[in-house]
Amino acid sequence: MVADRPPFEDLYRDYLGRIYAYVRAQVGTSADAEDITAQVFMNAYQAYARFEARNQTPAAWLFRIARNATLDHFRAHGRRERLRRTIEHQPAAEEDPAGQAEDRIQYRALLAHVAKLPERQRDAISLRHSGLSFDEVGRLMSCSEDAAKMLYHRALKALKEAVQKEGV
Amino acid sequence: MSEPDGDLELQGLQRELDDAFHTTRPRPAFEDELWLKMQTSRPPARRLGDALAAFFQGIREVPAVPLAAVAAVLVVVIGVGIIAYSGRGHLGGGGASSTAGESAARADQLYAGAFGRLPTPAFNGGAKNATAPQAGAGGAVPEYSGPVQLTWTGKLDLTITSAPVYRYNEPSTSSADQFASALGAVLRERPSGFLGSYSASDYTLKVRGTVQSPPSSPAFFIFSSPSMPAIDAAGAGPQDLANIFLAQHSLTPAWGNTIVVDSSGDPIKVRYQRQFDVAGYGAAPLVDVNGDRYGLEVDLSANRPVLVSGLLPVGLETADYKIVAAGDAVQSVLAASSVGNAATPALTVKLTQAELVYVLVPAGGHSFYEPAYLFSGTFQLNGATLVKRVLVPAVDPSQRTP
Repeated sequence: MVADRPPFEDLYRDYLGRIYAYVRAQVGTSADAEDITAQVFMNAYQAYARFEARNQTPAAWLFRIARNATLDHFRAHGRRERLRRTIEHQPAAEEDPAGQAEDRIQYRALLAHVAKLPERQRDAISLRHSGLSFDEVGRLMSCSEDAAKMLYHRALKALKEAVQKEGV
Repeated sequence: MSEPDGDLELQGLQRELDDAFHTTRPRPAFEDELWLKMQTSRPPARRLGDALAAFFQGIREVPAVPLAAVAAVLVVVIGVGIIAYSGRGHLGGGGASSTAGESAARADQLYAGAFGRLPTPAFNGGAKNATAPQAGAGGAVPEYSGPVQLTWTGKLDLTITSAPVYRYNEPSTSSADQFASALGAVLRERPSGFLGSYSASDYTLKVRGTVQSPPSSPAFFIFSSPSMPAIDAAGAGPQDLANIFLAQHSLTPAWGNTIVVDSSGDPIKVRYQRQFDVAGYGAAPLVDVNGDRYGLEVDLSANRPVLVSGLLPVGLETADYKIVAAGDAVQSVLAASSVGNAATPALTVKLTQAELVYVLVPAGGHSFYEPAYLFSGTFQLNGATLVKRVLVPAVDPSQRTP
Protein backbone atom coordinates (compact mmCIF):
# COMPACT_ATOMS: atom_id res chain seq x y z
CA MET A 1 0.00 0.00 0.00
CA VAL A 2 1.39 3.35 -0.95
CA ALA A 3 1.80 5.52 2.12
CA ASP A 4 -0.41 8.37 0.94
CA ARG A 5 -3.10 6.15 -0.45
CA PRO A 6 -5.98 5.62 1.97
CA PRO A 7 -7.45 2.15 2.44
CA PHE A 8 -10.07 1.43 -0.17
CA GLU A 9 -12.56 0.76 2.61
CA ASP A 10 -12.28 4.41 3.58
CA LEU A 11 -12.98 5.55 0.06
CA TYR A 12 -15.91 3.23 -0.16
CA ARG A 13 -17.39 4.47 3.07
CA ASP A 14 -16.78 8.12 2.29
CA TYR A 15 -17.78 8.22 -1.34
CA LEU A 16 -20.45 5.60 -1.94
CA GLY A 17 -23.26 7.98 -1.14
CA ARG A 18 -21.78 10.87 -3.11
CA ILE A 19 -21.10 8.78 -6.16
CA TYR A 20 -24.57 7.34 -5.99
CA ALA A 21 -26.12 10.80 -5.76
CA TYR A 22 -24.07 11.98 -8.73
CA VAL A 23 -25.12 9.02 -10.83
CA ARG A 24 -28.70 9.20 -9.61
CA ALA A 25 -28.94 12.79 -10.82
CA GLN A 26 -27.81 11.66 -14.24
CA VAL A 27 -29.93 8.63 -14.89
CA GLY A 28 -33.23 9.28 -13.19
CA THR A 29 -33.98 5.87 -11.71
CA SER A 30 -32.58 4.29 -8.61
CA ALA A 31 -32.22 0.92 -10.32
CA ASP A 32 -29.93 2.32 -12.99
CA ALA A 33 -28.11 4.39 -10.40
CA GLU A 34 -27.40 1.27 -8.35
CA ASP A 35 -26.15 -0.62 -11.39
CA ILE A 36 -23.81 2.15 -12.42
CA THR A 37 -22.61 2.86 -8.89
CA ALA A 38 -21.83 -0.82 -8.48
CA GLN A 39 -19.86 -0.77 -11.71
CA VAL A 40 -17.98 2.33 -10.59
CA PHE A 41 -16.80 0.78 -7.37
CA MET A 42 -16.08 -2.58 -8.95
CA ASN A 43 -13.86 -0.82 -11.47
CA ALA A 44 -12.29 1.36 -8.82
CA TYR A 45 -11.62 -1.59 -6.56
CA GLN A 46 -9.82 -3.44 -9.31
CA ALA A 47 -7.86 -0.38 -10.39
CA TYR A 48 -7.00 0.97 -6.97
CA ALA A 49 -3.51 -0.48 -7.03
CA ARG A 50 -2.78 1.84 -9.92
CA PHE A 51 -4.24 4.94 -8.30
CA GLU A 52 -1.60 7.61 -7.74
CA ALA A 53 -2.61 9.90 -4.93
CA ARG A 54 0.09 12.33 -5.93
CA ASN A 55 -1.59 13.14 -9.20
CA GLN A 56 -5.18 13.59 -8.19
CA THR A 57 -7.50 13.40 -5.22
CA PRO A 58 -9.46 10.23 -4.56
CA ALA A 59 -12.62 12.22 -5.21
CA ALA A 60 -11.48 13.33 -8.64
CA TRP A 61 -10.37 9.80 -9.45
CA LEU A 62 -13.64 8.23 -8.38
CA PHE A 63 -15.78 10.82 -10.10
CA ARG A 64 -13.83 10.32 -13.29
CA ILE A 65 -14.67 6.63 -13.16
CA ALA A 66 -18.27 7.48 -12.33
CA ARG A 67 -18.51 9.96 -15.18
CA ASN A 68 -17.12 7.45 -17.65
CA ALA A 69 -19.44 4.74 -16.40
CA THR A 70 -22.42 7.05 -16.76
CA LEU A 71 -21.42 8.03 -20.27
CA ASP A 72 -20.97 4.36 -21.14
CA HIS A 73 -24.41 3.72 -19.77
CA PHE A 74 -25.97 6.33 -22.00
CA ARG A 75 -24.03 5.13 -25.00
CA ALA A 76 -25.15 1.59 -24.40
CA HIS A 77 -28.78 2.32 -23.80
CA GLY A 78 -29.44 5.47 -25.68
CA ARG A 79 -29.95 8.56 -23.64
CA ARG A 80 -32.99 9.78 -25.48
CA GLU A 81 -34.84 6.54 -25.15
CA ARG A 82 -33.86 6.15 -21.54
CA LEU A 83 -34.95 9.64 -20.64
CA ARG A 84 -38.20 9.20 -22.47
CA ARG A 85 -38.91 6.06 -20.55
CA THR A 86 -37.67 7.14 -17.15
CA ILE A 87 -38.85 10.71 -17.05
CA GLU A 88 -41.83 11.18 -19.32
CA HIS A 89 -43.24 7.80 -18.45
CA GLN A 90 -41.69 7.39 -15.06
CA PRO A 91 -43.00 4.19 -13.55
CA ALA A 92 -44.88 4.27 -10.32
CA ALA A 93 -42.66 3.97 -7.30
CA GLU A 94 -43.94 0.51 -6.50
CA GLU A 95 -42.71 -0.74 -9.87
CA ASP A 96 -39.13 0.08 -9.01
CA PRO A 97 -37.94 -2.29 -6.29
CA ALA A 98 -34.84 -0.27 -5.58
CA GLY A 99 -36.92 2.88 -5.49
CA GLN A 100 -39.18 1.36 -2.90
CA ALA A 101 -36.26 0.95 -0.56
CA GLU A 102 -34.64 4.23 -1.41
CA ASP A 103 -36.22 6.33 1.24
CA ARG A 104 -33.65 9.05 1.58
CA ILE A 105 -34.08 10.87 -1.69
CA GLN A 106 -36.05 14.02 -1.03
CA TYR A 107 -35.55 15.99 -4.18
CA ARG A 108 -36.75 13.68 -6.92
CA ALA A 109 -38.36 16.42 -8.98
CA LEU A 110 -35.33 18.68 -8.80
CA LEU A 111 -33.00 15.88 -9.80
CA ALA A 112 -35.36 14.98 -12.62
CA HIS A 113 -34.92 18.51 -13.93
CA VAL A 114 -31.16 18.15 -13.63
CA ALA A 115 -31.34 14.92 -15.58
CA LYS A 116 -33.09 16.73 -18.43
CA LEU A 117 -30.39 19.35 -18.86
CA PRO A 118 -27.97 19.08 -21.80
CA GLU A 119 -25.20 16.64 -21.04
CA ARG A 120 -22.40 19.05 -20.16
CA GLN A 121 -24.64 21.31 -18.11
CA ARG A 122 -26.00 18.33 -16.26
CA ASP A 123 -22.49 17.12 -15.63
CA ALA A 124 -21.28 20.47 -14.36
CA ILE A 125 -24.16 20.79 -11.92
CA SER A 126 -23.81 17.23 -10.68
CA LEU A 127 -20.05 17.32 -10.25
CA ARG A 128 -20.06 20.69 -8.56
CA HIS A 129 -22.79 19.78 -6.09
CA SER A 130 -21.13 16.46 -5.42
CA GLY A 131 -18.42 18.46 -3.70
CA LEU A 132 -15.79 18.93 -6.38
CA SER A 133 -13.97 22.20 -6.87
CA PHE A 134 -14.31 24.08 -10.15
CA ASP A 135 -10.73 23.13 -10.87
CA GLU A 136 -11.63 19.44 -10.48
CA VAL A 137 -14.81 19.87 -12.49
CA GLY A 138 -12.80 21.50 -15.26
CA ARG A 139 -10.22 18.74 -15.28
CA LEU A 140 -12.89 16.08 -15.48
CA MET A 141 -14.70 17.89 -18.27
CA SER A 142 -11.51 18.72 -20.13
CA CYS A 143 -11.84 22.46 -19.79
CA SER A 144 -10.36 25.24 -17.71
CA GLU A 145 -11.52 26.21 -14.26
CA ASP A 146 -13.04 29.40 -15.61
CA ALA A 147 -14.84 27.54 -18.36
CA ALA A 148 -16.19 25.14 -15.78
CA LYS A 149 -17.52 28.08 -13.76
CA MET A 150 -19.21 29.57 -16.80
CA LEU A 151 -20.68 26.25 -17.78
CA TYR A 152 -21.95 25.71 -14.26
CA HIS A 153 -23.63 29.12 -14.05
CA ARG A 154 -25.27 28.63 -17.43
CA ALA A 155 -26.51 25.29 -16.25
CA LEU A 156 -27.80 26.81 -13.04
CA LYS A 157 -29.78 29.43 -14.94
CA ALA A 158 -31.15 26.83 -17.30
CA LEU A 159 -32.19 24.73 -14.36
CA LYS A 160 -33.88 27.68 -12.69
CA GLU A 161 -35.86 28.38 -15.82
CA ALA A 162 -36.88 24.76 -16.11
CA VAL A 163 -37.98 24.66 -12.50
CA GLN A 164 -39.96 27.89 -12.85
CA LYS A 165 -41.55 26.64 -16.02
CA GLU A 166 -42.51 23.19 -14.86
CA GLY A 167 -42.29 23.47 -11.09
CA VAL A 168 -40.59 21.20 -8.63
CA MET B 1 -20.77 24.84 -1.34
CA SER B 2 -23.15 27.59 -2.42
CA GLU B 3 -21.29 30.62 -3.54
CA PRO B 4 -22.26 34.26 -3.53
CA ASP B 5 -24.52 35.16 -6.38
CA GLY B 6 -26.48 38.28 -7.06
CA ASP B 7 -29.53 36.33 -7.88
CA LEU B 8 -31.21 35.24 -4.68
CA GLU B 9 -33.24 32.71 -6.56
CA LEU B 10 -30.10 31.15 -7.91
CA GLN B 11 -28.67 31.04 -4.43
CA GLY B 12 -31.79 29.32 -3.20
CA LEU B 13 -31.56 26.88 -6.02
CA GLN B 14 -27.94 26.18 -5.16
CA ARG B 15 -28.92 25.42 -1.59
CA GLU B 16 -31.61 23.06 -2.79
CA LEU B 17 -29.11 21.34 -5.01
CA ASP B 18 -26.70 21.01 -2.11
CA ASP B 19 -29.43 19.43 -0.05
CA ALA B 20 -30.52 17.23 -2.91
CA PHE B 21 -27.05 15.84 -3.47
CA HIS B 22 -26.35 15.48 0.24
CA THR B 23 -29.54 13.63 1.01
CA THR B 24 -29.77 11.39 -2.01
CA ARG B 25 -28.39 8.08 -0.87
CA PRO B 26 -28.93 4.46 -1.90
CA ARG B 27 -31.12 2.15 0.08
CA PRO B 28 -29.31 0.96 3.21
CA ALA B 29 -28.84 -2.64 2.09
CA PHE B 30 -27.11 -1.58 -1.10
CA GLU B 31 -23.94 -0.63 0.72
CA ASP B 32 -23.51 -4.09 2.18
CA GLU B 33 -24.51 -5.87 -1.00
CA LEU B 34 -22.06 -3.99 -3.13
CA TRP B 35 -19.24 -4.39 -0.65
CA LEU B 36 -19.80 -8.12 -0.59
CA LYS B 37 -19.85 -8.26 -4.35
CA MET B 38 -16.61 -6.33 -4.57
CA GLN B 39 -14.88 -8.49 -2.05
CA THR B 40 -15.81 -11.61 -3.90
CA SER B 41 -14.96 -10.44 -7.39
CA ARG B 42 -11.52 -11.75 -8.02
CA PRO B 43 -9.73 -12.28 -11.28
CA PRO B 44 -10.13 -15.53 -13.21
CA ALA B 45 -6.51 -16.51 -12.60
CA ARG B 46 -7.10 -16.34 -8.90
CA ARG B 47 -10.25 -18.36 -9.25
CA LEU B 48 -8.39 -21.06 -11.12
CA GLY B 49 -5.87 -21.22 -8.32
CA ASP B 50 -8.67 -21.50 -5.84
CA ALA B 51 -10.26 -24.26 -7.85
CA LEU B 52 -7.05 -26.27 -7.81
CA ALA B 53 -6.62 -25.60 -4.12
CA ALA B 54 -10.12 -26.75 -3.47
CA PHE B 55 -9.48 -29.93 -5.41
CA PHE B 56 -6.34 -30.81 -3.51
CA GLN B 57 -8.02 -30.01 -0.24
CA GLY B 58 -10.80 -32.29 -1.27
CA ILE B 59 -10.10 -35.18 0.99
CA ARG B 60 -11.09 -33.91 4.34
CA GLU B 61 -11.65 -35.87 7.47
CA VAL B 62 -15.25 -36.78 7.99
CA PRO B 63 -16.08 -35.74 11.49
CA ALA B 64 -17.19 -38.20 14.08
CA VAL B 65 -20.58 -36.66 14.30
CA PRO B 66 -23.72 -38.66 13.92
CA LEU B 67 -24.85 -36.59 11.13
CA ALA B 68 -26.70 -38.96 9.36
CA ALA B 69 -29.74 -37.21 10.15
CA VAL B 70 -28.81 -33.96 8.86
CA ALA B 71 -30.51 -33.11 5.67
CA ALA B 72 -32.90 -35.98 5.61
CA VAL B 73 -35.52 -34.01 7.41
CA LEU B 74 -34.92 -31.03 5.22
CA VAL B 75 -35.53 -33.21 2.22
CA VAL B 76 -38.86 -34.21 3.66
CA VAL B 77 -39.83 -30.73 4.65
CA ILE B 78 -38.82 -28.89 1.56
CA GLY B 79 -39.17 -31.64 -0.91
CA VAL B 80 -35.96 -31.38 -2.76
CA GLY B 81 -33.42 -31.61 -0.02
CA ILE B 82 -32.86 -27.95 0.44
CA ILE B 83 -29.79 -27.22 2.40
CA ALA B 84 -28.98 -23.68 2.84
CA TYR B 85 -25.69 -22.10 2.36
CA SER B 86 -25.09 -18.71 3.69
CA GLY B 87 -22.08 -16.77 3.78
CA ARG B 88 -19.82 -13.94 3.86
CA GLY B 89 -18.16 -13.52 0.57
CA HIS B 90 -18.56 -16.73 -1.29
CA LEU B 91 -19.01 -15.53 -4.82
CA GLY B 92 -15.39 -15.13 -5.58
CA GLY B 93 -15.06 -18.79 -5.21
CA GLY B 94 -12.04 -20.41 -3.95
CA GLY B 95 -11.49 -22.91 -1.25
CA ALA B 96 -11.95 -20.82 1.79
CA SER B 97 -8.98 -18.75 0.92
CA SER B 98 -7.50 -16.38 3.41
CA THR B 99 -8.27 -13.52 1.07
CA ALA B 100 -11.94 -14.23 1.17
CA GLY B 101 -11.82 -14.59 4.93
CA GLU B 102 -9.97 -11.38 5.42
CA SER B 103 -12.30 -9.59 3.09
CA ALA B 104 -15.29 -10.82 4.99
CA ALA B 105 -13.69 -9.74 8.22
CA ARG B 106 -13.09 -6.29 6.82
CA ALA B 107 -16.67 -6.15 5.68
CA ASP B 108 -17.76 -7.01 9.19
CA GLN B 109 -15.57 -4.34 10.67
CA LEU B 110 -17.23 -1.79 8.48
CA TYR B 111 -20.66 -2.52 9.80
CA ALA B 112 -20.06 -3.79 13.27
CA GLY B 113 -22.25 -2.46 15.99
CA ALA B 114 -24.76 -3.34 18.65
CA PHE B 115 -28.13 -4.41 17.35
CA GLY B 116 -30.24 -3.50 20.36
CA ARG B 117 -32.52 -6.09 21.91
CA LEU B 118 -32.69 -9.21 19.83
CA PRO B 119 -35.76 -11.18 18.85
CA THR B 120 -36.14 -14.43 20.71
CA PRO B 121 -35.76 -17.55 18.59
CA ALA B 122 -38.83 -19.66 18.01
CA PHE B 123 -37.79 -23.27 17.93
CA ASN B 124 -41.14 -24.92 17.71
CA GLY B 125 -43.23 -23.92 14.75
CA GLY B 126 -43.24 -20.31 15.75
CA ALA B 127 -43.89 -20.83 19.43
CA LYS B 128 -42.15 -18.20 21.45
CA ASN B 129 -41.49 -20.57 24.32
CA ALA B 130 -37.92 -21.19 23.38
CA THR B 131 -37.32 -23.51 26.28
CA ALA B 132 -39.83 -26.05 25.10
CA PRO B 133 -38.24 -29.34 24.17
CA GLN B 134 -37.93 -29.81 20.47
CA ALA B 135 -37.74 -32.88 18.37
CA GLY B 136 -34.55 -32.94 16.44
CA ALA B 137 -34.18 -34.44 13.02
CA GLY B 138 -33.81 -38.13 13.23
CA GLY B 139 -32.18 -39.57 10.20
CA ALA B 140 -30.57 -42.78 11.34
CA VAL B 141 -31.71 -42.15 14.88
CA PRO B 142 -35.42 -41.36 14.99
CA GLU B 143 -36.59 -38.59 17.22
CA TYR B 144 -39.09 -38.66 19.98
CA SER B 145 -41.54 -35.84 20.46
CA GLY B 146 -43.71 -37.19 23.23
CA PRO B 147 -43.66 -36.01 26.83
CA VAL B 148 -40.34 -36.45 28.55
CA GLN B 149 -38.82 -35.92 31.92
CA LEU B 150 -35.40 -34.55 31.22
CA THR B 151 -32.29 -35.11 33.23
CA TRP B 152 -28.82 -33.87 32.57
CA THR B 153 -25.82 -36.10 33.04
CA GLY B 154 -23.44 -34.44 30.63
CA LYS B 155 -20.83 -31.80 31.06
CA LEU B 156 -21.03 -28.33 29.60
CA ASP B 157 -17.97 -26.28 30.35
CA LEU B 158 -18.16 -22.83 28.94
CA THR B 159 -15.63 -20.18 29.75
CA ILE B 160 -17.04 -17.46 27.55
CA THR B 161 -19.58 -14.92 28.71
CA SER B 162 -20.41 -13.41 25.35
CA ALA B 163 -20.73 -14.58 21.78
CA PRO B 164 -21.13 -12.84 18.45
CA VAL B 165 -24.53 -12.30 16.91
CA TYR B 166 -24.73 -11.86 13.17
CA ARG B 167 -27.22 -9.73 11.31
CA TYR B 168 -28.00 -9.47 7.62
CA ASN B 169 -30.35 -7.37 5.57
CA GLU B 170 -32.98 -9.19 3.62
CA PRO B 171 -31.64 -9.84 0.12
CA SER B 172 -33.35 -7.96 -2.68
CA THR B 173 -34.17 -8.95 -6.21
CA SER B 174 -31.17 -6.89 -7.21
CA SER B 175 -28.81 -8.88 -5.03
CA ALA B 176 -30.34 -12.11 -6.28
CA ASP B 177 -29.81 -10.92 -9.83
CA GLN B 178 -26.18 -10.09 -9.07
CA PHE B 179 -25.64 -13.52 -7.58
CA ALA B 180 -27.16 -15.14 -10.65
CA SER B 181 -25.21 -12.90 -12.98
CA ALA B 182 -21.96 -13.88 -11.30
CA LEU B 183 -22.86 -17.49 -12.02
CA GLY B 184 -23.63 -16.67 -15.63
CA ALA B 185 -27.36 -17.27 -15.31
CA VAL B 186 -30.00 -15.08 -16.93
CA LEU B 187 -33.22 -13.91 -15.31
CA ARG B 188 -36.29 -15.68 -16.66
CA GLU B 189 -39.04 -14.81 -14.24
CA ARG B 190 -39.83 -13.94 -10.67
CA PRO B 191 -42.10 -16.72 -9.48
CA SER B 192 -44.06 -16.35 -6.31
CA GLY B 193 -41.97 -17.12 -3.28
CA PHE B 194 -38.69 -16.53 -5.06
CA LEU B 195 -36.57 -13.51 -5.77
CA GLY B 196 -35.90 -14.87 -9.22
CA SER B 197 -35.65 -17.86 -11.49
CA TYR B 198 -32.68 -17.91 -13.83
CA SER B 199 -31.38 -20.15 -16.54
CA ALA B 200 -27.91 -21.09 -17.65
CA SER B 201 -26.77 -23.46 -20.35
CA ASP B 202 -27.12 -26.59 -18.27
CA TYR B 203 -29.07 -25.70 -15.17
CA THR B 204 -31.88 -23.66 -13.71
CA LEU B 205 -31.20 -21.43 -10.74
CA LYS B 206 -33.78 -20.26 -8.24
CA VAL B 207 -33.11 -17.79 -5.47
CA ARG B 208 -35.34 -17.02 -2.54
CA GLY B 209 -35.16 -14.80 0.51
CA THR B 210 -35.68 -15.57 4.17
CA VAL B 211 -38.67 -17.72 5.05
CA GLN B 212 -40.24 -16.53 8.28
CA SER B 213 -41.85 -19.77 9.42
CA PRO B 214 -40.46 -22.26 9.79
CA PRO B 215 -37.34 -20.12 9.76
CA SER B 216 -35.26 -20.77 6.70
CA SER B 217 -32.30 -18.83 5.45
CA PRO B 218 -32.06 -17.07 2.07
CA ALA B 219 -31.11 -19.80 -0.33
CA PHE B 220 -30.28 -20.71 -3.87
CA PHE B 221 -31.09 -23.89 -5.73
CA ILE B 222 -29.36 -25.15 -8.82
CA PHE B 223 -31.37 -27.76 -10.69
CA SER B 224 -29.29 -29.40 -13.35
CA SER B 225 -30.69 -30.02 -16.79
CA PRO B 226 -30.12 -33.28 -18.66
CA SER B 227 -27.29 -31.59 -20.52
CA MET B 228 -25.32 -31.07 -17.31
CA PRO B 229 -22.20 -33.17 -17.88
CA ALA B 230 -20.74 -35.57 -15.38
CA ILE B 231 -17.64 -34.27 -13.63
CA ASP B 232 -14.66 -35.91 -15.23
CA ALA B 233 -12.02 -36.54 -12.59
CA ALA B 234 -10.49 -40.00 -12.58
CA GLY B 235 -10.34 -41.53 -9.14
CA ALA B 236 -12.17 -38.67 -7.49
CA GLY B 237 -14.65 -39.42 -4.77
CA PRO B 238 -17.97 -37.64 -4.19
CA GLN B 239 -16.38 -35.00 -2.01
CA ASP B 240 -13.75 -34.27 -4.64
CA LEU B 241 -16.41 -34.04 -7.32
CA ALA B 242 -18.48 -31.66 -5.22
CA ASN B 243 -15.42 -29.53 -4.51
CA ILE B 244 -14.62 -29.35 -8.19
CA PHE B 245 -18.14 -28.36 -9.14
CA LEU B 246 -18.29 -25.66 -6.48
CA ALA B 247 -14.89 -24.32 -7.40
CA GLN B 248 -15.77 -24.23 -11.09
CA HIS B 249 -18.83 -22.15 -10.25
CA SER B 250 -17.16 -19.99 -7.61
CA LEU B 251 -19.45 -21.42 -4.99
CA THR B 252 -16.88 -22.93 -2.66
CA PRO B 253 -17.84 -21.94 0.87
CA ALA B 254 -15.59 -19.27 2.26
CA TRP B 255 -16.89 -19.96 5.74
CA GLY B 256 -15.78 -22.66 8.10
CA ASN B 257 -17.52 -25.93 7.58
CA THR B 258 -17.58 -29.61 8.27
CA ILE B 259 -18.04 -31.85 5.25
CA VAL B 260 -20.22 -34.90 5.49
CA VAL B 261 -20.83 -37.39 2.71
CA ASP B 262 -23.99 -39.48 2.71
CA SER B 263 -23.45 -42.33 0.27
CA SER B 264 -26.33 -44.41 1.53
CA GLY B 265 -28.47 -43.81 -1.52
CA ASP B 266 -28.72 -42.21 -4.91
CA PRO B 267 -28.05 -39.33 -5.20
CA ILE B 268 -25.01 -39.18 -2.99
CA LYS B 269 -25.17 -36.09 -0.84
CA VAL B 270 -22.12 -34.02 0.00
CA ARG B 271 -22.95 -31.58 2.77
CA TYR B 272 -20.96 -28.59 3.88
CA GLN B 273 -22.23 -27.74 7.32
CA ARG B 274 -21.60 -24.16 8.22
CA GLN B 275 -19.81 -23.18 11.39
CA PHE B 276 -19.38 -19.87 13.14
CA ASP B 277 -16.14 -19.22 14.97
CA VAL B 278 -16.65 -18.15 18.56
CA ALA B 279 -13.56 -16.79 20.26
CA GLY B 280 -12.75 -18.82 23.36
CA TYR B 281 -15.07 -21.62 22.35
CA GLY B 282 -14.35 -22.81 18.83
CA ALA B 283 -16.61 -23.67 15.95
CA ALA B 284 -20.34 -23.52 16.57
CA PRO B 285 -22.46 -25.15 13.88
CA LEU B 286 -25.44 -23.52 12.24
CA VAL B 287 -28.58 -25.54 12.90
CA ASP B 288 -32.23 -25.30 11.98
CA VAL B 289 -35.11 -25.29 14.44
CA ASN B 290 -34.81 -29.04 14.78
CA GLY B 291 -31.16 -28.91 15.64
CA ASP B 292 -30.05 -30.19 12.25
CA ARG B 293 -26.87 -28.74 10.84
CA TYR B 294 -26.91 -27.13 7.45
CA GLY B 295 -24.85 -25.10 5.03
CA LEU B 296 -24.60 -26.25 1.46
CA GLU B 297 -25.38 -29.51 -0.27
CA VAL B 298 -24.30 -31.03 -3.55
CA ASP B 299 -26.34 -34.03 -4.70
CA LEU B 300 -24.50 -36.28 -7.12
CA SER B 301 -25.86 -39.04 -9.29
CA ALA B 302 -23.45 -40.95 -11.52
CA ASN B 303 -20.89 -38.19 -10.93
CA ARG B 304 -23.40 -35.59 -12.18
CA PRO B 305 -24.54 -32.78 -9.90
CA VAL B 306 -28.31 -33.03 -9.94
CA LEU B 307 -29.07 -30.48 -7.25
CA VAL B 308 -26.95 -27.92 -5.48
CA SER B 309 -28.54 -25.88 -2.76
CA GLY B 310 -27.25 -23.52 -0.17
CA LEU B 311 -27.63 -20.23 1.60
CA LEU B 312 -27.60 -17.16 -0.55
CA PRO B 313 -24.56 -15.06 0.31
CA VAL B 314 -25.44 -12.09 2.45
CA GLY B 315 -23.33 -9.44 4.09
CA LEU B 316 -23.10 -10.09 7.80
CA GLU B 317 -22.70 -7.52 10.51
CA THR B 318 -21.56 -8.75 13.88
CA ALA B 319 -21.92 -7.63 17.48
CA ASP B 320 -21.09 -9.36 20.73
CA TYR B 321 -23.87 -10.21 23.16
CA LYS B 322 -23.89 -11.52 26.69
CA ILE B 323 -24.90 -15.16 26.88
CA VAL B 324 -26.41 -17.15 29.70
CA ALA B 325 -24.10 -19.31 31.78
CA ALA B 326 -23.99 -23.02 31.08
CA GLY B 327 -25.59 -23.84 34.42
CA ASP B 328 -28.52 -21.55 33.72
CA ALA B 329 -28.96 -23.09 30.29
CA VAL B 330 -29.10 -26.54 31.86
CA GLN B 331 -31.70 -25.37 34.36
CA SER B 332 -33.88 -23.92 31.64
CA VAL B 333 -33.74 -27.20 29.77
CA LEU B 334 -34.65 -29.25 32.81
CA ALA B 335 -37.48 -26.87 33.61
CA ALA B 336 -38.89 -27.59 30.20
CA SER B 337 -39.65 -31.20 31.05
CA SER B 338 -43.17 -32.03 30.05
CA VAL B 339 -45.74 -33.83 32.10
CA GLY B 340 -47.23 -36.99 30.76
CA ASN B 341 -50.67 -38.41 31.34
CA ALA B 342 -52.19 -41.80 31.82
CA ALA B 343 -52.24 -42.49 28.10
CA THR B 344 -48.76 -41.21 27.40
CA PRO B 345 -46.62 -41.21 30.49
CA ALA B 346 -43.55 -39.05 30.35
CA LEU B 347 -40.37 -40.88 29.59
CA THR B 348 -37.22 -40.09 31.41
CA VAL B 349 -34.54 -39.00 28.98
CA LYS B 350 -30.97 -38.39 29.92
CA LEU B 351 -29.48 -35.50 28.03
CA THR B 352 -25.82 -36.24 27.76
CA GLN B 353 -24.45 -33.77 25.23
CA ALA B 354 -24.62 -30.02 24.78
CA GLU B 355 -22.98 -27.58 22.46
CA LEU B 356 -23.15 -23.99 21.36
CA VAL B 357 -24.86 -23.61 18.00
CA TYR B 358 -26.28 -20.85 15.84
CA VAL B 359 -29.87 -20.50 14.73
CA LEU B 360 -31.61 -18.25 12.26
CA VAL B 361 -34.02 -15.73 13.76
CA PRO B 362 -35.99 -13.93 11.04
CA ALA B 363 -36.97 -10.39 11.86
CA GLY B 364 -38.43 -8.86 8.73
CA GLY B 365 -36.15 -6.48 6.89
CA HIS B 366 -33.16 -7.99 8.58
CA SER B 367 -32.58 -11.27 10.35
CA PHE B 368 -30.12 -12.67 12.83
CA TYR B 369 -27.94 -15.68 13.42
CA GLU B 370 -28.04 -16.01 17.19
CA PRO B 371 -26.21 -18.41 19.48
CA ALA B 372 -28.20 -21.16 21.19
CA TYR B 373 -27.54 -24.24 23.26
CA LEU B 374 -28.38 -27.60 21.74
CA PHE B 375 -28.84 -30.42 24.25
CA SER B 376 -29.32 -34.01 23.14
CA GLY B 377 -29.53 -37.52 24.43
CA THR B 378 -30.53 -40.93 23.15
CA PHE B 379 -32.76 -43.46 24.81
CA GLN B 380 -34.46 -46.76 24.11
CA LEU B 381 -38.16 -47.12 23.48
CA ASN B 382 -39.74 -50.40 22.44
CA GLY B 383 -36.38 -51.69 21.33
CA ALA B 384 -35.64 -48.70 19.17
CA THR B 385 -33.01 -46.07 19.79
CA LEU B 386 -34.46 -42.58 19.74
CA VAL B 387 -32.90 -39.17 20.17
CA LYS B 388 -34.17 -36.16 22.02
CA ARG B 389 -32.91 -32.67 21.22
CA VAL B 390 -33.64 -29.47 23.01
CA LEU B 391 -32.70 -26.00 21.85
CA VAL B 392 -32.61 -23.02 24.19
CA PRO B 393 -31.54 -19.48 23.41
CA ALA B 394 -28.05 -18.59 24.52
CA VAL B 395 -28.40 -14.82 24.39
CA ASP B 396 -29.07 -13.47 27.86
CA PRO B 397 -32.78 -12.70 28.39
CA SER B 398 -31.90 -9.12 29.25
CA GLN B 399 -30.61 -8.73 25.72
CA ARG B 400 -33.73 -10.14 24.07
CA THR B 401 -37.24 -8.99 23.49
CA PRO B 402 -39.75 -10.90 25.62
